[in-house]
Amino acid sequence: MGNNGKKTHFEQGEFWKKVILPGTVILLLFFIFWGDSKPPIPSPVPLNAEWYSPETARGEILVNTVMPGNCFICHSVQIPDPTTISPQFAHITVKLEHGVNDRCYNCHHIYDRDSLAGDGESKISFATPERLCARCHGIIVRDWKDGTHGLRQGGWLVKGGKDPVNFTCTECHDPHTPQFKYMHAAPAPTWPEKTLRQSRQSDDDPKSAFLTESIQERF
Amino acid sequence: MSKEEQNNHDETNQNPQEPTISRRYFLAGSACLSVATAVSLSPLLNAEEVPSSEDLIQKHYKELSTEEKKEIFAKLESEINQQYGVTAKISDPAPLDGVEFAYVLNLGRCIGCRKCVYACMDENNQSRSPQKQYIRVMKMKKGTINLETSSHDYPEKEASSKDHFYMPVACQQCREPKCIEVCPVKATWKEKDGIVVVDYNWCIGCRYCEAACPYHARRFNFAKPQIPKQEINPDMGYLSNRPRYMGVMEKCTFCLHKTRRGEYPSCMEVCPTGSRKFGNIRDPESEVRKIIEQERVFVLKQEVGTLPKFYYTFAK
Repeated sequence: MGNNGKKTHFEQGEFWKKVILPGTVILLLFFIFWGDSKPPIPSPVPLNAEWYSPETARGEILVNTVMPGNCFICHSVQIPDPTTISPQFAHITVKLEHGVNDRCYNCHHIYDRDSLAGDGESKISFATPERLCARCHGIIVRDWKDGTHGLRQGGWLVKGGKDPVNFTCTECHDPHTPQFKYMHAAPAPTWPEKTLRQSRQSDDDPKSAFLTESIQERF
Repeated sequence: MSKEEQNNHDETNQNPQEPTISRRYFLAGSACLSVATAVSLSPLLNAEEVPSSEDLIQKHYKELSTEEKKEIFAKLESEINQQYGVTAKISDPAPLDGVEFAYVLNLGRCIGCRKCVYACMDENNQSRSPQKQYIRVMKMKKGTINLETSSHDYPEKEASSKDHFYMPVACQQCREPKCIEVCPVKATWKEKDGIVVVDYNWCIGCRYCEAACPYHARRFNFAKPQIPKQEINPDMGYLSNRPRYMGVMEKCTFCLHKTRRGEYPSCMEVCPTGSRKFGNIRDPESEVRKIIEQERVFVLKQEVGTLPKFYYTFAK
């Protein structure tokens, strides 16, 4: 150690006594008590089926499937008024919020309870509501026929694949209040915090507001 | 003992420039060191996944013959049965001719309900704890697409807000994937139908691809994936949704075990608003092709030159 032959600070064996041995003991203690101190991974929680079921978001059809009672008890007595706006008596649960289209007999056939109103006196079956919707929403119905609007299930490859499942207008939209209702959303991810994009950096902070405004000004 | 010390002492006096270590201290020190090494390495004894010799000599997926694949699939199936008690069927459908998959997502309709996220977890046997999700739904203020200030951990009650739109981001299945360029062992590659896949048995877990991906679409298994037994999806693909190992990368594969049989991917089938559209971009009659022709579509981070096959649009 010392070049000039003098006794160094660490005498013979002292290096071991003072450095290696205590160091090793500390290392041992560290590995025994703190070496495996990672928090345990929590046991897996099964997914809630509601989180991945489309039914919870498009259950609108159930509202209108069953109308109790016999239609003719009322409708044979009463003379239908084409300007009827609010659903009455048995239909009190129905809320009509269809924009400017606010009259019952715009869509329902005025003399036939089992049909929808087509052009003139013609009738449209309840099985094909898209023909009724197409009277106003033609572009959407065209897109729906192309497959570019609305939910589809089954297969993209018709030949040899699964049969495609298509949904008609009223299977997703309630025709009386057609704006889509958002029922149940699924929860946020539970990832480690550092891999999450935190809400605090989100669009409420001044930097975001500045960016948003400056971009909006340009257009 | 005293003799030895005496000798040592003499030696020290004789050669002060070369201090020697006594046998006693040498033995004590080396014993301590070896015990410390053993203790520090002891977690290896509890390692859950020690590869068998067959795993070590398994060839790259592309070099496997049909018989070898069959053997490997049978072995994996028995392993899964042992581990989860599920009779799984591992399939390996080949890419279809004349098919290139593309995805279109209508941001004007997405309500951020995250059903796609959980349907994907359910279909792809993703780890429930620690949680792995391929799809991140970014909540952004209307007015600009600002990924920097978006959040993807918004609580569920903030879904379907009128002041925001929601942009689900998963693997964009790029035509020029940067992730496969950086892989040092070619464990990830692009298939003929445009799907970027990972061979979980070949991946070494270096995470270069995770760093290279501009969309943060790849996930790394830091821990052994945990899935409840009753939730295992027994319809498995070798390159897609079979259970992953600890220490490998995984990513969205457009559910290739389903889509190569002609079915839709799971995220699309559950979308309650129909904002997701999937199909064969080479087929002029397909839904995606019609949307791309009729609507204004854009891709995410066009400037990085990855040419994604995942299009976004703001159609009605």
